[in-house]
Amino acid sequence: MSSVGAETMVGENVIEVTDLSKRYPPDIKAVDGVTFSIRGGQVFSMLGPNGAGKTTTVEILEGLRNPTAGEAKIFDVDVTKDYSALRDRVGILPQNFEPFDELKPWEALEYWAGLYDRKMSRKDIDRLLELVNLTERKNSISKKLSGGEKRKLGFALSLINEPELLFLDEPTTGLDPKARRDIWHMIQDIRKKGTTVFLTTHYLDEAERLSDDVAIMHKGKIITRGGPQELITKYGKMNVIVLVGAGSVALQEIRRRGIDATEEEGDVLVPVKDPAEMRVIFQKLSGIEFKVRDMYTRRQTLEDVFLELVGAKMEEGVLKE
Amino acid sequence: MSRIISDIKSYGKMYMRSKVGAFFTFVFPILLILMFGAIYSTGGDQKVTLPVQNLDDGPHSKLFLSILNSTGAVNIEEIAPTENLTAYFKDNSLTMALVIPRGFSDQVNYSINTSLSQSANVILYGDPTQTTVSIAQAVIGATAVAFNDVLLNSTEIVYSEVQPPPATESFKFLDFFLPGVIGITVMTNCLFAMTSICAEYRQRGFFKLLATTRLKKHEWLISKYLWYSLILLASLLTTVAVAKLAFKIEANLTPMALLMIPVGAFVFTSMGMLIGVAVKDPESGVALANAVGFPMMFLSGSFFPLDVMPGFLKAIAAVLPLTYFNNGLRDTMVSGNTTAAMLNAGILLAVGLVFFALSSKLMSWKEK
Repeated sequence: MSSVGAETMVGENVIEVTDLSKRYPPDIKAVDGVTFSIRGGQVFSMLGPNGAGKTTTVEILEGLRNPTAGEAKIFDVDVTKDYSALRDRVGILPQNFEPFDELKPWEALEYWAGLYDRKMSRKDIDRLLELVNLTERKNSISKKLSGGEKRKLGFALSLINEPELLFLDEPTTGLDPKARRDIWHMIQDIRKKGTTVFLTTHYLDEAERLSDDVAIMHKGKIITRGGPQELITKYGKMNVIVLVGAGSVALQEIRRRGIDATEEEGDVLVPVKDPAEMRVIFQKLSGIEFKVRDMYTRRQTLEDVFLELVGAKMEEGVLKE
Repeated sequence: MSRIISDIKSYGKMYMRSKVGAFFTFVFPILLILMFGAIYSTGGDQKVTLPVQNLDDGPHSKLFLSILNSTGAVNIEEIAPTENLTAYFKDNSLTMALVIPRGFSDQVNYSINTSLSQSANVILYGDPTQTTVSIAQAVIGATAVAFNDVLLNSTEIVYSEVQPPPATESFKFLDFFLPGVIGITVMTNCLFAMTSICAEYRQRGFFKLLATTRLKKHEWLISKYLWYSLILLASLLTTVAVAKLAFKIEANLTPMALLMIPVGAFVFTSMGMLIGVAVKDPESGVALANAVGFPMMFLSGSFFPLDVMPGFLKAIAAVLPLTYFNNGLRDTMVSGNTTAAMLNAGILLAVGLVFFALSSKLMSWKEK
């Protein structure tokens, strides 16, 4: 084992999904005729609330579920027909990953390597443990690891076969902010090495930060697809200058000067339709006397895109109507 | 093969570290041997305590009690004739008591004088579920025979005595009991463990995880079977060594007995996996394993001889794999009948193959 993560066919399609459906009795459409393809070397995020069909889609691609209809190919291999041909090229971190309680991290890696017919030296194992920041915990029994450490171990296991394509199903759900950031860095490192990453998540900031390509899934369908900035530009409204605590008196004065503004919980919001107008608006505002506690510019995010498309906010995977 | 070895190595570490598995493999059979060995190692020296209320107090009742006492099989505890027997039973939580009725001696005399036209009776009150009552009943019966001989001045012509089977004269209770303990150990370890492993692996997503590797289902099944064969062979050697050291048992640890262990491990791991196919969580796994394992434990001759069971229970015992495993072990360890042991092993292998094929076919690591 020389390196972690093998380069994929950068720029070529590594996954091609056509009219994929999965139904459960009596007539639940978990995945409803989705079609998409993913280019090699990218981080592709499938974003959506719990129950959107993300895990079902990814588990079909992992060969863990059979679709009701449609076709799914990885590296041009039909996943429903011959998954064994893909096992050496695909790495998987399942949702809610749990390690074997009584094995130490280095033993778990040695075990997993054996299940892929690979011999790993202690040096190789140490290198992989270092990559996921588990060096200091390599001799602890897995059941004594924290939630974040367990997930990191799962991440290391998914890399054992040096995959060209890595499936990460909600890898940061339930983790504390530091552990989340650690996992993000690992994903970025893997991507730099050329591995294609298929990430499912319900964290909008995670998708925005890590992805080259995002598909928003809702009720079994992909409702939009594109790069994070592309989606923000397409569906986001505009940037907003927020005058914290300015209040209604300031609002009237700002409007009197011909600047479009609204009030929200005591703050005055000034929309900026074109980024080029930002300077002009700031100049106008500086000529008005009003009290303000703070002032900042709110950038549009995927959260705004999600709200626009789905009509609800999402917190921990749950839609808040 | 390398995947199987890798799985055995890792599973072995997990098994030994979990402590529960190690307890049931090594400590549990030794505890059973030590416990039953301690109870039965004194053989026939133990006496049954028999409370007796003599309401007669005549010469014949005294003679009867004297003969009863001379058997050496009972400790007689006198109940005063003035005691109310019903209340005495209740107050002292008795399981049995022998009553010699008022007028017993007169009745004996009358019986002798009238050429035995009417017999004199003693009455044993007792809880029929208690084995001590059965023992007392046999001793009192023998006492009555001896009492009649003395009164009629006759001689007993036919004697009966119980001896161990030929070639096992020096065997003790524990020698006959040991195969049953080994049978229970093999069955509980394989059946209970495999059922709960299947449930746990399914609930915690380990099957899904394994499904993403190159390990095949049948390789996983073989790995578990090989592990339990190895660990149970070690258990057998340890248990027999303890029994030999502690109680000087003479049952033979034959090559066929060693061969029976992997055969038993095969049939019971396969059976556990087959049950595991149906369970979704560890709780239902434990319930289902208990529902199958416990009746098998009691109906297969591990603790109780099959001959004392009613016909329908014998019919059930005849389809339980543990019956054949126990019989096979007894055949080779006690009777020295290798051919009979091989026949039992053959039946187990055939059953194990069916279980293995079914569990390989029906077990799914995927989601539906």
